[in-house]
Amino acid sequence: MSKKINLTLKIWRQKNRHAKGRFELYKADAIDTEMSFLEMIDVVNEKLTKEGQEPIAFDHDCREGICGMCGAVVNGQPHGPQRATTLCQLHMRYFKDGETLVIEPLRARAFPVVKDLIVDRSAFDRVLQAGGFVSVKTGCAPDAQTLLVSKHKAETAMDAAQCIGCGACVAACPNGAAMLFVGAKLTHLNVLPQGEVEKDARVHRMVKQMDKEGFGSCSNEYECQAACPKKISVSVIARMNKDHLRSSE
Amino acid sequence: MLVLASITKKQIVAATGLFLVLFVLGHLTGNFFIYGGSEAYNGYAHHLNSLRPVLNVVEAGLFLIFLLHMSLTISLLIENIQARGFRRYAVDRPVGERSWASRLIPFTGTYILGFVIFHLFDFAFVSHFGARSLINGIDRGLYGAVYNAFKDIRHSAAYIIAVSFLGFHLAHGVQSLIQTFGFENPVWSPRIRVLSVWIGGLVALAYSSIPLFILLYVKS
Amino acid sequence: MLNPNIPSGALKDKWTHHKASIKLVNPGNKRSLKVLVVGTGLAGASAAASLAELGYQVEVFCIQDSPRRAHSIAAQGGINAAKNYPNDGDSVHRLFHDTIKGGDFRSREANVHRLAEVSNHIIDQCVAQGVPFARDYAGYLDNRSFGGAQVSRTFYARGQTGQQLLLGAYQALMKEVGKGAIKLHTRSEMQDLVVIDGVARGIIVRDLITGEITSYVGDAVVLATGGYGNIFYLSTNAKACNATAIWRAHKKGAFMANPCYTQIHPTCIPVHGDYQSKLTLMSESLRNDGRVWVPKKAGDTRPAREIPEAERDYFLERKYPAFGNLVPRDIASRNAKEQCDGGRGVSSSGKAVYLDFTDAIKRVGKAVIQERYGNLLEMYERITGEDPTTTPMMIYPAIHYTMGGLWVDYNLMSNLPGLFVIGEANFSDHGANRLGASALMQGLADGYFILPYTIGDYLARLKKSPVDIAGHEAFKQGVSDARQRIDKLLAIKGKQTVNEFHRRLGHLLWEKCGMARNKKGLEEALAEIPRIREEFWKDLCVVGSGEDLNQSLERAGRVADFLEFAELLVKDALTREESCGGHFREEYQTEGGEALRRDDIFSFVAAWEYKGAGTAPVLHKEPLNFEEVPLAQRNYT
Ligand SMILES: Cc1cc2nc3c(=O)[nH]c(=O)nc-3n(C[C@H](O)[C@H](O)[C@H](O)COP(=O)(O)OP(=O)(O)OC[C@H]3O[C@@H](n4cnc5c(N)ncnc54)[C@H](O)[C@@H]3O)c2cc1C
Ligand code: HEM
Ligand code: HEM
Ligand code: SF4
Ligand code: F3S
Ligand code: FES
Repeated sequence: MSKKINLTLKIWRQKNRHAKGRFELYKADAIDTEMSFLEMIDVVNEKLTKEGQEPIAFDHDCREGICGMCGAVVNGQPHGPQRATTLCQLHMRYFKDGETLVIEPLRARAFPVVKDLIVDRSAFDRVLQAGGFVSVKTGCAPDAQTLLVSKHKAETAMDAAQCIGCGACVAACPNGAAMLFVGAKLTHLNVLPQGEVEKDARVHRMVKQMDKEGFGSCSNEYECQAACPKKISVSVIARMNKDHLRSSE
Repeated sequence: MLVLASITKKQIVAATGLFLVLFVLGHLTGNFFIYGGSEAYNGYAHHLNSLRPVLNVVEAGLFLIFLLHMSLTISLLIENIQARGFRRYAVDRPVGERSWASRLIPFTGTYILGFVIFHLFDFAFVSHFGARSLINGIDRGLYGAVYNAFKDIRHSAAYIIAVSFLGFHLAHGVQSLIQTFGFENPVWSPRIRVLSVWIGGLVALAYSSIPLFILLYVKS
Repeated sequence: MLNPNIPSGALKDKWTHHKASIKLVNPGNKRSLKVLVVGTGLAGASAAASLAELGYQVEVFCIQDSPRRAHSIAAQGGINAAKNYPNDGDSVHRLFHDTIKGGDFRSREANVHRLAEVSNHIIDQCVAQGVPFARDYAGYLDNRSFGGAQVSRTFYARGQTGQQLLLGAYQALMKEVGKGAIKLHTRSEMQDLVVIDGVARGIIVRDLITGEITSYVGDAVVLATGGYGNIFYLSTNAKACNATAIWRAHKKGAFMANPCYTQIHPTCIPVHGDYQSKLTLMSESLRNDGRVWVPKKAGDTRPAREIPEAERDYFLERKYPAFGNLVPRDIASRNAKEQCDGGRGVSSSGKAVYLDFTDAIKRVGKAVIQERYGNLLEMYERITGEDPTTTPMMIYPAIHYTMGGLWVDYNLMSNLPGLFVIGEANFSDHGANRLGASALMQGLADGYFILPYTIGDYLARLKKSPVDIAGHEAFKQGVSDARQRIDKLLAIKGKQTVNEFHRRLGHLLWEKCGMARNKKGLEEALAEIPRIREEFWKDLCVVGSGEDLNQSLERAGRVADFLEFAELLVKDALTREESCGGHFREEYQTEGGEALRRDDIFSFVAAWEYKGAGTAPVLHKEPLNFEEVPLAQRNYT
């Protein structure tokens, strides 16, 4: 049941992309354990605003774990300590009274900090622009039922397609690699017959763009899958490796 | 200049890694002749050397593979450090899947490199006969050299540490190369990860058994 | 007189004939025509991608850091289509009929019929894009049934249909961005519409990172900015959902239609404290196996399990024996509110009812229930910390969708030439109530299959403006107005935060203009809203600058618009002296407590015209005629 806890927050503040950032200490007192993590920051922000200080900037939107907007590193872990949970769905009952929480932005060279806890993840969009689609134009699709997809393939594709593009995998990876994100999109599209036609070109273009964006490479640390709020498995990375090796481009 | 995709580089590391693993296993098998005594061991070494022209090619290949493995891992390592961004997190608490074997791989790798150089000067680039090979005044050839080396507890210890590091390297490396080549299977992938640790452990134990055997069991 | 431009001919032939007769733009000219698309939800992303494929120059804007994060991503349940794959008797006509009836006879027949017609193409298109819809073991597409329909016509991708459909549209968008056919502006918020000589010519946009305000010129402007449910502060909508784009367009002359049609979803996780920032939807499907109840005695604080069977009131089953727990959304919602208002609500706030799976678990076993609703139960537990298979779930209604929006004609063009409105932002095809799984259908129908045709007709007729439009005074004016507004917000330097004002407004609307409305309450709200607004402009506190990323400032701008829009919403509710769909006026109900429509007087679309601050808006009526579906009263008892 609900109770109140007091916390100390050590939060990364950075004015903009070019400014130097630093940690600042804040008190979060009488936090209701039923609050979500973002609601806890809301409370701190209301207080800061009233004191005339600039509130902490953080990305969020749906607050139900699907838009992929939220995400910060709490005590070294992207999206905080609870597995398979986005920051917006993490609740304060997972923390103890008196705890100090260190909150930082997702860090990677390809994700420059925009302000405080907000980072620029547009690199993900550009990787998708390179090939994360099926080249079908509106209007030229045949009847949906003419194409059968085995249940197994449909489920494998769906498992991978659940990725919300939050970037936690990159932030968790000691190499700042985007393998889980890119692998998830490749698995989604490459296992389906609709996407198979362009498979070779897709894997090449996306990997090339991924490298160009400055993401690291994979040394199979598997931190990414542990941090992924959608439980995307590193099997998508293996599949990407295989497709890349076999592709004719 | 040809720019290799990160995945391609990684796959070259894995391929060279695989060759190195095969070498390590082959070399281990060869060294097990030590349990057959000096005749058997020297016979094996002699037999190997009789394959000379071919062996030269193999050695050169091995050297290249080593070089490729190292240079690519080093370049990937530097790229990856850069890709992390300017700093790591204030609290270092991995989410949980990262093993110590994988964390330490650059260090175990470097240690192995140091060891191999030392090792080559120890056994390979030196004469297999002469003062270092004498056991009780009799020249026992290569066997003698190995025997004398491992009778020194410090020498043995250095080897045991090195092969433990090798085991560590392989505990991550073997499953890693399989993942890098793209094998995935919901049942087998987790098993391979366990297997990899066993392989690493067994390689370390098997190699360690040689200095230990000489140090503890073989009477002069 | 408001002309909906409905093509003549038999209902079922209208769209086909219209498509065949509208003007086409010659391919060479398309390259020189620019369309500005605001919003990248299902409607905006699908429209932008399709327009770019046709060869138009397209620029796209969205608030989030990536188009993929538009609120459409959150839709769970599914998307309807008249495919009739299960062979259970579905057809275009039946989908049309259900939608008209579900909308409580407050939508345009011609639009709804067209929606049903194109629904099937949507599924084809999405499958071709690689949307991983659920399939059976033979590899065929699977369907589920949804409220308001007797056939199985809902396609779904686990509990994430909206996500998968949006990713499909987003990927199509990315494909065109990659080719250079679309220019993408993320973290960009539309501040105003630029209208020159009565024609929409461009938009004013604020870059949310740098604070820079820029104008963009286009040959047509498409608004796909979603719904305004967040006017209630607490809703199932994402935090950035807003009415800014449509409200500013309204202030520039576009008519706002039926703003009082708001939809409430009965099964959401209840509010647990003042800090609450949003409400989470629990899929309606839970009502298939859950029984809704409250304690019979008011103020009973015993834990659920300690309340004996005889002291529980399964009020839906009691009042609506035929439909039981599966009555439509609005009825379920109003009854829950009635129980809570009577003091029988549960949870510490008293604003919740139980949704109990105990009997279902006894009947089919825990494993089956877990399999059916696995991720929902998990989500509930993650949020509340309680296991709903052992302690009954607590639910309460919440604002979920807005049927109202900018008025558009059959071609999806507003009364301002050149301004097109699609998706939830327009007043839509859902009448006074939207059926489950129909919003996704409508958004994609608009974007993929309707707008790309109808906008062509407009552009083909468009005469290139002789003057250099970009240099026109209206653009400079727009930029300076936007800047002034921002400066004004920053200059107040009062004591109350944006959230405080927003919460107050939301609470007021929820109480007076929420699930059930009456004249007195609406009049009170109408008096109170200007007071809050006045206070807002006097005592608002926004820290930081306008030349920087400033989230409080962004919110302040949106809340300022909500504070104006709310008045129109309430006024519309007050004017519509009948009950229909999501708009329930307590004065107008049947004996069974059902919504009582007054078709003789209110069978029209209420389209409001802005007449300036402080001046009463003018109501234009678009009469609704029902030729195919006979008007009928709903009855679920
Ligand atoms: C929790 C939930 C579940 C739902 N489930 C279902 C379901 O199962 N089936 C169904 O059919 N419907 C469902 N709906 C309804 C449906 O999701 C929405 O109606 C639909 O997705 C709206 O799509 P849209 O494209 O019109 O707008 P949105 O997806 O809301 O997109 C709005 C876009 O406009 C942009 N924008 C807004 N304002 C501005 C501005 N001022 N400047 C620039 N850009 C701006 C935003 O950034 C965004 O890109 C659900 C809704 C909710 C809340
Ligand atoms: C107890 C352990 C070991 C023993 C007793 C041993 C023994 C030897 C001997 C005797 C040689 C010389 C062979 C010759 O010149 O014909 C040799 C060569 C070599 N050893 Fe080892 N070795 C051991 C472990 C290792 C390990 C762990 C590695 C690698 C990681 C290794 C790598 C090599 C290499 C690269 C050569 C040179 C190969 C060649 O010349 O063909 N050795 N080793
Ligand atoms: C006998 C010697 C060696 C063997 C058997 C071996 C084997 C392997 C294997 C199998 C891998 C895994 C490849 C993959 O992840 O796909 C690997 C990785 C690695 N090796 Fe070695 N290796 C040896 C020597 C070295 C040396 C000398 C170095 C040092 C410089 C080194 C450094 C690394 C590094 C850093 C990696 C990780 C690279 C990455 O994952 O990005 N290794 N090794
Ligand atoms: S793979 Fe997982 S962690 Fe990475 S972006 Fe997708 S959802 Fe986030
Ligand atoms: S954590 Fe990084 S190293 Fe590979 S397996 Fe995941 S991307
Ligand atoms: S805010 Fe959308 S995933 Fe967290």
